[in-house]
Amino acid sequence: MTFLRLLSQTKLYWGLIAIFLIGVLSSPVTSSGRNIFLSSGNLLDVLRQVSTTGLVATGMTAVILTGGIDLSVGSLMAICSVVCAMLLTVPGETPAVFLGIPAVGLASLLIGAVVVRFIFVNIEKTRSGIANIRDVHLDRMRGTLLPAVGGVILCALVLSFLLPQVQTKFGVLGVLLVASAVGLLFGAINGAIIVVGRLQPFIVTLAMMVTALGIARLTAGQNNAVLPVYTGSNATADFDVLRQLVFGIVPMPGIFFIAAIILYSVVLRFTPFGRYVYAIGGNEEAARLSGINAGRVKIVTYAISGLLAGIAAVLYVAQYRQGKPDAGAGLELDAIAAVVIGGTSLMGGRGSLAGTFCGVLIFGLLSNILQLHNINSNLQLVLKGVIIIGTVLVQERNAYDVLAHLRLTSRRPAQRETAAEERASRETLSLTMGGKEE
Amino acid sequence: MKRRDIMRLAAFAAVLAATTALLPGKDALAQDKKWRIGFSQATTIEPWRAQFNKDIIAEAAKHPEVELIVTDGEDKTEKQVADVENLIRQEVNALLISPKESAGLTGVVQQAIDAKIPVFVLDRNVETDQYTQFVGGDNKLIGRAAGEYAVELLGGKGKAQGNVVEIWGGMGTQPAHDRHDGFHEFTDKEPGIKNLLDQQSGDWKQDQAYNIMATALRNNEKIDLVYGHNDPMAYGAYLAAKDAGREKDIKFIGIDALPGEGVTWVNNGELTATFLYATPGAEGLRQAIKFLNGEKVEKTVTLDTMRVTKENAGQIMKDNGL
Repeated sequence: MTFLRLLSQTKLYWGLIAIFLIGVLSSPVTSSGRNIFLSSGNLLDVLRQVSTTGLVATGMTAVILTGGIDLSVGSLMAICSVVCAMLLTVPGETPAVFLGIPAVGLASLLIGAVVVRFIFVNIEKTRSGIANIRDVHLDRMRGTLLPAVGGVILCALVLSFLLPQVQTKFGVLGVLLVASAVGLLFGAINGAIIVVGRLQPFIVTLAMMVTALGIARLTAGQNNAVLPVYTGSNATADFDVLRQLVFGIVPMPGIFFIAAIILYSVVLRFTPFGRYVYAIGGNEEAARLSGINAGRVKIVTYAISGLLAGIAAVLYVAQYRQGKPDAGAGLELDAIAAVVIGGTSLMGGRGSLAGTFCGVLIFGLLSNILQLHNINSNLQLVLKGVIIIGTVLVQERNAYDVLAHLRLTSRRPAQRETAAEERASRETLSLTMGGKEE
Repeated sequence: MKRRDIMRLAAFAAVLAATTALLPGKDALAQDKKWRIGFSQATTIEPWRAQFNKDIIAEAAKHPEVELIVTDGEDKTEKQVADVENLIRQEVNALLISPKESAGLTGVVQQAIDAKIPVFVLDRNVETDQYTQFVGGDNKLIGRAAGEYAVELLGGKGKAQGNVVEIWGGMGTQPAHDRHDGFHEFTDKEPGIKNLLDQQSGDWKQDQAYNIMATALRNNEKIDLVYGHNDPMAYGAYLAAKDAGREKDIKFIGIDALPGEGVTWVNNGELTATFLYATPGAEGLRQAIKFLNGEKVEKTVTLDTMRVTKENAGQIMKDNGL
């Protein structure tokens, strides 16, 4: 029965398996007798469709783990998509460049600071086990001076690389760099206001959502409707890389999404930073008292959330051949829904990226199945809502309680059978999903 | 523990079976259909789009050999692209698409063309010309009709006198520019016509138009004619004038002529006239069926407009069951 036990305890995958099976079993068949849902093309379509939401949800997960929320991701994506599209299409000194260059500079500073910080903290940890207050001060010195110098050098390099390009065209890397830098910068601003101003993340990111949308519109200027990127000129030819299938199979956006999930999972599981994220979400006060710089960790999570929104924006431009102020509208809600379906608690401290990955796929497969059955689109919205609630209930194991309430089943035993069971299951959990259940 | 697991698995299996049974694997009715035609609509929230869907579904009902699949892009490019991908996977015989915007849908339309599916583009074009056919109205033509009528209302060619308030649709959208340009081809020739506002946009919405008009009424003693880029905006302007007690001395012209909106308002005497922006739904489907049956079709079909005034408004409402 070990297999069964494993299945019942990795509650994460229940929803995904269920949705997938429903898809397979109920799929319509083409005239030649192929199962449409299972055809590789269809599943890869789903992967491509969810990748922008997925990238954003990845960044959102860490933010929610710290007990925060980021409502601005949709608007950040709008800004970055406009910047990206303008760099590709509008030659000369556009507002996008003016927005982009300082962003790159500041972003390189921030990245430098974070990298240096990581190195020092890790050295510190291995040397003394725990940093005392004085060390933290030293770190702060080293953690700002070095990256400042590094950042300036990096900035100069980037500028010397970009400015000649501005007149003609940007390479894919250049655009990716600038757009993600803009995202990172705005994300960092979010974090800084939340931490320094000691404000609720909800209201700060809500304000940023509005502000960023305005900036996106200002940047786009009179081209308010569409900035067509696809002009058939060489400017976008090498940009097509981001739209192509890798090895002729996997869509590039999907690769980005999966890579982001894996990388960020590693960061959350194996670095001090990752542990801090969980610790802050669990109990911020306790984390602070045990010497964690909660503010800095939080700023980094918001910055990364913005960065991923920026990358998502570049993929959006590549796929839809346009960047515009209404890109990413409503994205934040989809992302938050996917994170919660994946079992991450909005209270913070509990959840995992593996869960978010499942949540995003559940969302995508669900839309795909409903559409394959050609269900009336208004009814689809109702079904989606109902199924999301159902999935979360099943995954949170509260479904049992609901049934008990309705006198359909006896009450669930109050405790797990034995402590040994408890431990064993916790081990399986952390092995299979990388989540931390404390 | 064991028993609970088994229970849970059983429950899971039961739920799965139930859900699967609810979703029909293949529509039994669809078996005797000769053609499956997919229609990807950009959004269904706007009344004009709703009418568009109504027209195409009514037309499909007249053709028992056709199974029509209608999808709704919910006003998001990414959703509409996903819808079209889905229709391609379902191997429809023909694809009708009314794009939310040109650039964003070009790629997936190309994908359909590459999959050898004939594509009929409705209302708004895409940035490729390999589609089978384009069906749509001509906003410039409608703007001209409105401009010509406005000159007539204000005293006729060469003698027209009056102050005109123009309320734009979305700034930077092609339809708004076309409706503006067509209108001004006639009014700009008249030295007696004065334009009071400079590019005030109501974003196609009634409430925003109300506010623009309320301000215009405060700032101008005399307004003779209001030209709204669509009916709800003309009606919003009418309401503002009514609230200011000045609706009697102003003429209101709108565009779109939806039976439940503009035509009704004209019939009530609230708007002076509206001009039909026909939905390409019925015509597009007819053309697609024609093509599937092996006939030749034109590359472009332009839908004509029609002036709706008090004389013919009642009849149009009757025809549409209002």
